[in-house]
Amino acid sequence: MEASTARVESSPGESLREAARERPAAVAFGVIALMVLALIAAKGVHDVAQASLNGLTLGVIYALGAVGLTLVYGILKLVNFAHGDFLTFGAYMAYMVNVTWGMPLFAGIFVAMAATAVLGLFLERAMWRPMRSRGAGFLQLLLMAIGLAFIIRSTIQWFWGTEIRTLDVNVVDSATFLGLRIGETELMVVLVGLVVLVVTGLVVRFSLLGKQMRALSDDLALAETAGIDTRRVILYTWIFSGALAGLAGVLSGALTNLRPELGFELLLPIFAAVILGGIGNPFGALVGGLVLGVVIEWSTLVIEPRWKVTVGFVALIIALVIRPQGIFGKARAP
Amino acid sequence: MTELPLAFTLEAFTDFGFWSGVLVIAGIYAVVTLGLQLNVGYTGLVNFGQAGFMAVGAYTMAILVLETGLSLWLAMPLAVAATMAFGVIIGLPALRLRADYFAIVTLATAEVVRLAAQNARDLTGGNKGLYCNFEGGEQVCFDDSWRSVSDSILGFIENFWSDPESLLPLLLVVWATVAIGTVALGYIQRTPWGRVLRAVREDEDAARALGKNTLLYKIQSLAISAVLGALAGFFLALFLATITPDDYEPIVTFFAFGVLVLGGLASYRGVAIGAVILWTLLEGTRYVELPISEEKAAALRFAIVGVVLIGLMAFRPQGIFGKREEMVLGD
Amino acid sequence: MATEATDTVASPAPSTGGVLLDVSDVVKRFGGIHAVDGASFEISEGSISALIGPNGAGKTTLFHVITGFQRGDRGSVRFAGEEVLRMPAYAIARRGMVRTFQITKALAAMPVIDNMMLAAPDQPGERFRNLLFRPRAVRSREGQVRERAAELLEVFGLSDLSDAYAGTLSGGQRKLLELARALMAEPRLLLLDEPMAGINPTLGRRLLDHMQRLRRERGMTFLFIEHDMEVVMNHSDRVIVMAEGRVIADGEPHRVREDPAVIDAYLGGSA
Repeated sequence: MEASTARVESSPGESLREAARERPAAVAFGVIALMVLALIAAKGVHDVAQASLNGLTLGVIYALGAVGLTLVYGILKLVNFAHGDFLTFGAYMAYMVNVTWGMPLFAGIFVAMAATAVLGLFLERAMWRPMRSRGAGFLQLLLMAIGLAFIIRSTIQWFWGTEIRTLDVNVVDSATFLGLRIGETELMVVLVGLVVLVVTGLVVRFSLLGKQMRALSDDLALAETAGIDTRRVILYTWIFSGALAGLAGVLSGALTNLRPELGFELLLPIFAAVILGGIGNPFGALVGGLVLGVVIEWSTLVIEPRWKVTVGFVALIIALVIRPQGIFGKARAP
Repeated sequence: MTELPLAFTLEAFTDFGFWSGVLVIAGIYAVVTLGLQLNVGYTGLVNFGQAGFMAVGAYTMAILVLETGLSLWLAMPLAVAATMAFGVIIGLPALRLRADYFAIVTLATAEVVRLAAQNARDLTGGNKGLYCNFEGGEQVCFDDSWRSVSDSILGFIENFWSDPESLLPLLLVVWATVAIGTVALGYIQRTPWGRVLRAVREDEDAARALGKNTLLYKIQSLAISAVLGALAGFFLALFLATITPDDYEPIVTFFAFGVLVLGGLASYRGVAIGAVILWTLLEGTRYVELPISEEKAAALRFAIVGVVLIGLMAFRPQGIFGKREEMVLGD
Repeated sequence: MATEATDTVASPAPSTGGVLLDVSDVVKRFGGIHAVDGASFEISEGSISALIGPNGAGKTTLFHVITGFQRGDRGSVRFAGEEVLRMPAYAIARRGMVRTFQITKALAAMPVIDNMMLAAPDQPGERFRNLLFRPRAVRSREGQVRERAAELLEVFGLSDLSDAYAGTLSGGQRKLLELARALMAEPRLLLLDEPMAGINPTLGRRLLDHMQRLRRERGMTFLFIEHDMEVVMNHSDRVIVMAEGRVIADGEPHRVREDPAVIDAYLGGSA
């Protein structure tokens, strides 16, 4: 056999790119570290720390929404465009309990989570499962999710109108520590959110249910043949998805206010967090959500605040173009 | 006997002014959905960025007229070219992604366009939008040239029909575009080019194995749909006489998808019919006097679209004119 | 015509030309796994070669790399003297190296005739600008293509199904369609991935007859992946054996069958 003269071998630039591809988390961490250093150099530690704290409140909401969305996306391959409206639903449920019936906010949170979980379960039985068994394709399900989003939002608008409402929360008091200011409500949001996220993380990581969910996310057909009760796991997935979404909605409503578009406005950043973390990866979604929130707040240090949402979307587009499988996703070409 | 809870006025059928408006909107949606049909129904590209194309077209046109003093008739083709270029630039990286990522990235891009329009106040007027400039006591509006043309057409029509509806010229132009677009796209589908497109829709690898540069075809498909989006954006701007970011929200794209699936995937004539049906349904309900507030009525209309979408996808995914065999929705 | 029942035992036919495909030290990695780990062989013009090996040997991956559907990490693939390792798949197909797939990719939502006409090379009508500026050239070539497609469908016995949606065809008919379609593309080298899989022996016979005839009459070259040893032994000039990403044997069918390395690979359970 003759040796060919024209060989194709990896150039040094290519080897570097290859290394980057195989250790994406390290690369991402490096990029973020560089950003922090640059920002501190430009704006000083205090401003950066304050922005980080603000970003944490935002990020917690993104993370809660993203974990719920990614579980459904990963296991059922459903691009749930109605997820945003789950958030809105939760927020208004809390409103009903907290404002209309005058009960404490925590009761509202509890009811919101429960009600949204029930909504998710109901829709799974009524809509998603029958469509799956009919072999519905990706576009069909996506359009149904959009239709569902319309219906949920219009129902909320029917009962509560478009006027802006607020939950019964303290928007005045704030705490200071280490020279940083955080509102009482914001502190509550961060604490509740982080606690729930940690609990969810523990469940997904260590419980049998969590392992089963991950198995389904990897390969649904295989999980079924392995004897896992996929129907049951799917139902639990919807419970998680709904409850987390409901909580995210309440927290968002507590931070800002209630309006029918509340959830939809959060939907794209939540998708961004899901994709950044790798679809189907709840830890990735958790980290992705927190990081996204913080980075968006950091951007207000260098550009005018009204552009901050745009920054999030641009980040999403860049992420999709460079590495669609996200930071923690498998290096598969999608 | 109890009274009927709703009253339906016969006035509904004779208010030509109202119905012209409905038909103009339906026509605008038909134009933008023709592009969507080319992408989704014939190339397999799940493009959620049509509202973005509309915005780029409309804003570019208005900015050219208002900022550089260019004539409307020159600004339009330039804006079309700009939108097409925008589509190609987005497409080059985005078209390599699989379907769901592509849907999200196009939606995100359209939102970036809208948000940029909202926030770049100096250029786009921000939330107030663009309409007229007042410079040195003179008012220059972006649609001045159109208005004079429209008035001439109305003047001409007055020879046959006294007191014609003022929207008539726009109505004619929009629906002429729909007609030409439908015929042209239908023709293109039957060509070898159209054949490759359908192969790309169905199985890109098979097309590549037969020597077809599939990326090129996808970009061309996106470019054409960008042109149609820009045209729809022009028409919307002329209809509303203002250009604001709110007019290009994702809901526009979602409604276009509603028109698309109602008319039927892979059917161009279905687009026009689907548009008319959907908007008649949506707007016609304004004439049904329900004992509910305006806000609730709006919510109800929204819900109707949702029900239509779900109902179609569940029970008749091929829509009115779609063909079951051509349905590649199940992948 | 369509149903020549030729009894074919392929004697090693002399190659009509030089080296058409030269694969040299090709490597393809997926993460840490070397699916193809330095594969090398040559294919002469006019030959019929079989690529065999246990499951997981890397045969289909090698096909992907050769035809541009996967990017090779290292090595060289020269087709008709030109380096094609990093070339996009469509460009390789246009140069005359056409492949079929393990799971047939008959375009189900298109009629059979459209499937066929799609594959013809040099169609001015496929370029958008020609639709506008050269309509007559488009129309005349379209007519030619339609005729040729009809001829080929006749040869393969699929004429009656010409207008049927390809999705309505049986598995065996789809295989025939895929082969007929590949031929429409007028390839110099046809790579077939398990052409005999899932079709009945009679149909299989017909396919092999076509292959032999095409080689005889047009000097077409074939390389196919196959698991059916009867087909491999009796219908190929040469057998290339792969195991664990490498070529472990390469030569006449009967010689290869006795090669201890080959026997070892199949019995030793490489995966």
